[in-house]
Amino acid sequence: MPLPACRRLAFRLAAGATIALIAAPALANDPAADLVSSTAAQAIDIVKAKTGAQRQAAIQQVLQTRFDLPYMARTALGIHWAKATPEQQARFVKATETAEAKAYSERFGQYSGQTLAIGKTTTRPNGVFIVDSRLNQTNGQPIKLAWEVRQLPAGLRITDVKIEGVSMVMTRRSDFNSYIQQHGGKVQPLIDELEARAAR
Amino acid sequence: MDPGLALMIASVFKVATRVRRSVAATAVAATLVSGCAVNDTGAAEVWDPIETPNRFIFSINRAVDVMAIRPVTVLYRDWVPEPAQKSVRNLLDNLGEPVTAINEVFQGDPSRAATTMARFLVNSTIGLAGLFDVASMLGMERTKTDAGQTIGIWAGKGVEPENGGFYLVLPLAGPSNARDATGLMIDYAIDPFQILPIAFNWDWFYYSVPRYGLNVIDYRSRTMFALDDIEKNSVDYYAALRSAYTQNRAELIRAKRDKTDTKGELERRDNLALVR
Repeated sequence: MPLPACRRLAFRLAAGATIALIAAPALANDPAADLVSSTAAQAIDIVKAKTGAQRQAAIQQVLQTRFDLPYMARTALGIHWAKATPEQQARFVKATETAEAKAYSERFGQYSGQTLAIGKTTTRPNGVFIVDSRLNQTNGQPIKLAWEVRQLPAGLRITDVKIEGVSMVMTRRSDFNSYIQQHGGKVQPLIDELEARAAR
Repeated sequence: MDPGLALMIASVFKVATRVRRSVAATAVAATLVSGCAVNDTGAAEVWDPIETPNRFIFSINRAVDVMAIRPVTVLYRDWVPEPAQKSVRNLLDNLGEPVTAINEVFQGDPSRAATTMARFLVNSTIGLAGLFDVASMLGMERTKTDAGQTIGIWAGKGVEPENGGFYLVLPLAGPSNARDATGLMIDYAIDPFQILPIAFNWDWFYYSVPRYGLNVIDYRSRTMFALDDIEKNSVDYYAALRSAYTQNRAELIRAKRDKTDTKGELERRDNLALVR
């Protein structure tokens, strides 16, 4: 082998090794960020390929496999969770799941080429990962999105999304709590309302 | 500058500072009161002692919005060409820059304030009275802040930014709280583009009315998507918006406070898992 070619090869190997060294830890150590980016990619694929009821069903599938919906529902119900019967709890989880799927498929209906840039991941002492990201729009300011990811026996799951500091779970919690208070502190009217909305 | 005008601006400044101090004190007092009232597990609801009048104003606002503001905004959004909308936004943003700069000084960020003033000078001249955002093309990024955030920053470490005093729904302006409503008044008092028309006796009808009108339409068009989403996906729109507003304002203030001090907020979320 002539010397310049040999040198070039060595250079390429060194460069490759450096890239591998930098890239490998970033990929291997950040499954939470991977979860968020693959979920976003999956959602965008669905939006491009499907519409209407099919889209909603596919989005619901993504929510079930990537998000911890029972946990989110439990947190959203707050202190009222313990007061509800197991049957009410199951119905509540089911109703919120449909509501979320409907909301997300409608939100994505407005999709027009936005991209998600994943930022840094913060690990909390209680095992929660916060993945920062930025939704870049084709026109206008980028939107700040933070994802809360938890480790479950079945694997990592997303448990909350914060849009410009507004947590979906916290907002639901205030919303549901206020509704329950206005209906005599009972959970049943809320479940009925959510089920009626899901059927619509 | 006319010495009378300078004196007037100086006195407005003095009043604004005094107001700011008393508001900070009120905010601190409010925190102490509310701090006693609830067990702060990190999942406390927004403090809303005047919920009934708030809901009343809220329903009036909604009626006005449905009947007048939203339809006009939809027409504006769908029929006015996008470059024109962008120029209107730039113009309004430019008029707001002096207030942002003053607040940035009080927030202890004079270099940021200098950039904002440079932006204002560049856009007012080369940018044709603010119609074009030339400064952004030159790499001077726009920042927006208000006196509500300034109070939130100076309220002290013990005051969570979620705590802005009691929740308040303002006629037309919508969700607010003691802190942000006071901030709004301060911003109004220190705004040169509010002082100048009075000082020079500009015709109110040709200046203030169009500015307010455009501001309302522009602001409504920007919040349309988010507000529609919250309304559609909530069982109690008032409560959902109250929570979303409080969280969003807290995020803006927290980002300005110690940049690394996200601990408090994250701890709140950790606690949240314990309450259920």
